[in-house]
Order: sequence, then C-alpha cells, then structure tokens
Amino acid sequence: MYGNGMTGAPASRISDFLVPKASFFRWLDSLRESFSVVGPVAEEDRTVFREIASADELHMEYASTMLSPGKVYLYSPREDLFRISFGKDLTIEEPPRSPVQRIIAGIHACDTHAVFYLDRTFLGAFRDPLYENRRSNTMLIALNCSAASRNCFCSSMGAGPFLKAEKGYDMLLTDLEDAYLVEIRTERCRVLFNADATQSADAEVFRRKEEKERSALRTFTKTINTDGLDRALRENPEHPVWGRTADERCLSCANCVMVCPTCFCHDVVDELSMDMKTVRRYREWDACQDARFAEVHGGNFRARRTARLRQFVTHKLDQTHQYGVFGTVGCGRCITWCPTGIDLTEMAKAIQTRKA
Amino acid sequence: MHPLKPAKAVLKNIRQETADVKTYTVQVDGAFSRELSPGQFNMVGYPGVGEAPISFSSLWEDGCIGHTVRSVGAVTAFIDKLAEGDELLLRGPYGKGWPMDIAKGRDLLLVAGGLGLAPLRPVIREVLQSRDSFGTVSLLCGARNEKNLLFTDEYEAWRKKISLFLTVDEAVTGEPWGHSVGLITGLLDRVKPDTAGTCAFVVGPEIMMRFVCRGLMLRGMQPADIFVSLERRMKCGVAQCGHCQHAGFFVCRDGPVFPYAQVTGLMDGML
Ligand SMILES: Cc1cc2nc3c(=O)[nH]c(=O)nc-3n(C[C@H](O)[C@H](O)[C@H](O)COP(=O)(O)OP(=O)(O)OC[C@H]3O[C@@H](n4cnc5c(N)ncnc54)[C@H](O)[C@@H]3O)c2cc1C
Ligand code: SF4
Ligand code: FES
Repeated sequence: MYGNGMTGAPASRISDFLVPKASFFRWLDSLRESFSVVGPVAEEDRTVFREIASADELHMEYASTMLSPGKVYLYSPREDLFRISFGKDLTIEEPPRSPVQRIIAGIHACDTHAVFYLDRTFLGAFRDPLYENRRSNTMLIALNCSAASRNCFCSSMGAGPFLKAEKGYDMLLTDLEDAYLVEIRTERCRVLFNADATQSADAEVFRRKEEKERSALRTFTKTINTDGLDRALRENPEHPVWGRTADERCLSCANCVMVCPTCFCHDVVDELSMDMKTVRRYREWDACQDARFAEVHGGNFRARRTARLRQFVTHKLDQTHQYGVFGTVGCGRCITWCPTGIDLTEMAKAIQTRKA
Repeated sequence: MHPLKPAKAVLKNIRQETADVKTYTVQVDGAFSRELSPGQFNMVGYPGVGEAPISFSSLWEDGCIGHTVRSVGAVTAFIDKLAEGDELLLRGPYGKGWPMDIAKGRDLLLVAGGLGLAPLRPVIREVLQSRDSFGTVSLLCGARNEKNLLFTDEYEAWRKKISLFLTVDEAVTGEPWGHSVGLITGLLDRVKPDTAGTCAFVVGPEIMMRFVCRGLMLRGMQPADIFVSLERRMKCGVAQCGHCQHAGFFVCRDGPVFPYAQVTGLMDGML
C-alpha cells in the first residue's frame, strides 16, 4: 500500500548492475544539472543531509543523521498552506507548488521505511498536495547499511539494515568495496541511468550482497522482541516503568519526537501580517510531549508527563491498528538524542519481562 | 482541491441560546458537500484566528446548515462577536457520525449532557421526519441549570413525537421547575431500555459519558449497542496533524462517534 504510485511505474526490465563507485558518482554528478541532489555530507562531528555541489562531498559511509532526509525534504518542518488576503473580497491562495526535481541519495533502509510510513499519513484517504508533489518529484536512492550504530534496532523491526521492499523508491545501493550493486526499481530511474563501465550483476554479485548483509547483521547490539509487543504494552498502561521513567528522567523536551522519522504531528498556525491585510496559514512540526498538545476546553487528556511519554512510546511500539504496522523503524534516534538517555527498547523489555 | 482549503460562508441568522451559546444558521459556498450526516463536524474559523471543530446542529435546511457554539477560547470567542451577514470560513464535513442505519427499526435512547445536545439535534430532526422508522425514542437531557438548556423553544414539537426527560444539576432561577434535579444518570431508570432492542447515542463531557455508559450496562445494555461522541483537540480534521489521536484512533476520521465497545478502557480516556 505504501508508495501510492508516487514513484511511477516499476522498472520495465531487470536492471541490476555492478558499477564502479567512481563511475556511479560521475553519473550522480551529471544529474545535478536537472535535479537538486541531496545526500549525506560530513559537517564537523556529524553527518547531515543537504544539497551537494559535487558528489565529492558525499560521505556515504555515514552512521546515522540527527534528522531523517525523508522527513525534512518530503514533509518539511514548517511550510505555508495558504495565503489569505482580506480586502473587498477575502481570497485564499495556495502557494505555488515547488517545481524542484530532487534526488535523495544514500537514504538508509530505515529512513526509506519511514518515508513509506509518512505516505500512510499524507497519501491516505486525504492526500496532502504539498507532500504529494514533493514525493512524486523526488527520487530516492536507498543505501543498504554496512554496520549498525549503537542505538539501531531496525533489524528487529524488519526495516533494515538491508532494504527488502521492492517498490516505493527508485534505486537501491549495496556497498561492495570499490563498486556498488545498483538495483533499479523504477522505470523513471532506469531511463536516467547511464553510468559508464557498468556490468550487469550476476549471481556472484548477489552472493556478495548476501554476505554483506550477514556481516551487517552481526553488528547489532540493540534488539527488541516484537512478538506480542503491542499487546504487552496495551495491557500494561499502569506498569511502573511508565511513571518512573517519566518522573525521574523525562524533561518533556520533545527531542525524541523531533528526530523521529515517522512522527507526523503538526500544528496549524495563522500569522497575521503587520498591516493586518494578509494571513499566512502554515503548519509546523508539533510534539505529543508538549504539555498542551492534547488540551481542550475544560481538560487535558495528557496532562501528566507519564501519559505523554506513554503516548510516544506506544505510538511506536503499540497502536499497530492505526496503519497496520509498527510506528518505529528502529533507527534509534530518540535514544541517541534524548538528553537523559531514555530508551524505549528498555521500557518495552521491562514490560515484556514483567519486571517492576 | 486542497483538503484544508476552507469555503466561505455567510451567517444568515444568529440565535442566542444561553449566555455563552449561540446557534448560527450558515449559508455555504456552492462547492460545499451536499452529503452531511448527523454527528459529523466542520472545521470552522476565520483567518488570523484559527479553526475549531464544531458539530452540525442542523443539516441542510433551506440551503443552510447550523452550528451551535459555546464561546470558550480564541476561535469560539471570535465567532461569538460576529453579526448576521458576517463572513466565516469552514471546511468539512468530517468524521463518522451517528449510525442511523443501526438505529432504524429499533428503540433509540439519546443522552445529551450540556452542549452534547447540539450534535444530537440532527438525529432528533431525522427521527421527527421519519418517525415510523424508529421504535420508542427517548431523549435524556442534562444541563448545569435551567439557564443552560439549549433549543428550549423546540421541546414542545419534540415532545409530540418522542419522550423528553430533563434534569439540571441545580435549579437556580427560582421559577417552578417541573423536571428532575440531579445528575443525568438519575434519569436512566425513567426509560428502562428494552435491552435487546435499544440502541443508545450518548454525548457530553467524557466523565458524564463514562457514568451514563456504565449505567446503561448495569441495566443490561450491551457495549456494542452504545455509541459515544468523543472530543479531542483537532487542528486538521483529516487524520494528518495527529492532535486528536486517541490510542491509535484518529478521532477526526475514525470518530468522533465510536461504538462504546471500541473506546472503553483505552489509555488517556475516561470511558
Ligand atoms: C468533534 C467535535 C465537535 C465539537 N462540536 C462542538 C459544537 O458543536 N459546539 C461547540 O461549541 N464546541 C464544539 N466542540 C468543542 C470545540 O471544538 C472547542 O470548544 C473549540 O475547539 C475551542 O476552540 P477555541 O479556539 O475557541 O478555544 P482555544 O483558544 O483553543 O481554547 C480552548 C481550550 O484549549 C486550550 N488552549 C488554548 N490555547 C491553546 C494552545 N495554543 N495549545 C493548546 N491548548 C490551548 C485552553 O486551555 C482552552 O481551555 C467540538 C469538538 C470536537 C472535537
Ligand atoms: S527526548 Fe527524552 S527527555 Fe525529551 S521528551 Fe523525549 S523521552 Fe522525554
Ligand atoms: S484533527 Fe488532525 S489528525 Fe485528527
């Protein structure tokens, strides 16, 4: 169900190649003429996704980024919905759709799954035209991970380290030292692909891919047991781990939500111009950890910090009836960026093992 | 069409119901949906002020829809200051309303606390219009005091076709009050639901719904025959902003009307 046709037709014929890295990057560079190419770039002590001026800037061996490229580039942190003008007649204008054609290169398996998750929110019964426009104007070049970071648990969630989905993105890369295995998933990507010195990928190449996957899987230190996980959480809303973690450690800073690649919540805000003639109605990321998020006249359904932390964690590890999948892809960002090191996998374990 | 783009509407008539509640009869731009059902809502607002979810208190009547609004905050206080002829923006209809199909052919028990009568009014209208499609229909209606009763001039017409029971938490006006005083749960014994054949629609503050639903269960009703309408903070109405999420449900899309069985015992809820 994910993808929603946003990536166009699947590739019309088998298109798996072994491509020397230098040749691959030359091809990627050539695309900068017609695309804004975004990829992982090392900046000071971390890697960020940003538009590149040359493929030389890319740091494809990155571990994890603070923000996922899908959330930033497809569902932007803040964007205008309407510009409304008063005057003789009130007019409501939609901002022009961005014509930018973009490539996101090097997006990890977990973050690709997170895009599929955002598709469920923004391309469901109601389709968000801004997201839809960017999703169809963006080619995703996914990259299988060679090694897990400290907080990764995507292998437990079926979202990595290697990407198993066959649609909803355009190309999949596997790092084979001096070359990439390039698996082309969409027709629009196949048409574009003209790197030189390519060889078609034979069984031996796929055997090396499997070996790579096995070695990547050996690097995981964090796991979660998803068997009956949603039920265990649902049946233990009053388990002491909720209150204890919330009271002793959670600051309600909302870092966990902001760095989460699947968190889709936002606020809608009206901003009146100084001359009071126009209103800019925009949306911006919001967080269930904010004390007023669930406030209504006469009450607040999550006034307690415990309730708010539990909402975040159960949205990731329970509430599977919402979209039929878990809300986490196992990227571990909420753990990495929590100032007090709150770890949802540990909370789940405490509940699963019935430990107080 | 952008799902969040509001339509223009003009206030044709404003009626003061109580000190802080008014009913607005609204004429909407042609593009607005013809298909509305009781229990659904609109996002109503004005640029610069914002939007708030407001139930239909009447569906299409003479080319207009109705909203009954209590002034409690930014958007609702703004609406409160508008005059007839003023413009307003709205979009909808959103959400799942009352299951009229399930109610047809059965006895129907309507229980409204406070402003909860507003989203039940289109149900009452439908019952009055096709009275033969329903069995016994009773409306239990509670308010803080006599001054907070809504739609009082319609009661007489309602009484001709359905049973109406009123209660107030306390009587304050000093005028003779020929009805009950006390919590709405006190009225449940007056109706004695035929437990197998009755379907109940309950709406009001969540804590009131909790006690009413439990009271109905104690009297033998099944959770599957009870429906409640939930209120949560809403910013989009289209299952995207996440504000209305309740244990994995989007109240704006999966509700606001839910079978009681689906929402009882959920975390962060009172049912
Ligand atoms: C499905 C549905 C149907 C409804 N139907 C009706 C109806 O028919 N009639 C009716 O009168 N009401 C109805 N309501 C309730 C109505 O939507 C609220 O009263 C309304 O949203 C209040 O909006 P406001 O802008 O006036 O108030 P706000 O200014 O939003 O204030 C409302 C409350 O929210 C809190 N609040 C204020 N600002 C913020 C903020 N920035 N962040 C978080 N919390 C804040 C305040 O504590 C205040 O008590 C319905 C609600 C739902 C969900
Ligand atoms: S990042 Fe950590 S401290 Fe901050 S809100 Fe999330 S769980 Fe609480
Ligand atoms: S109101 Fe935005 S998700 Fe329901």
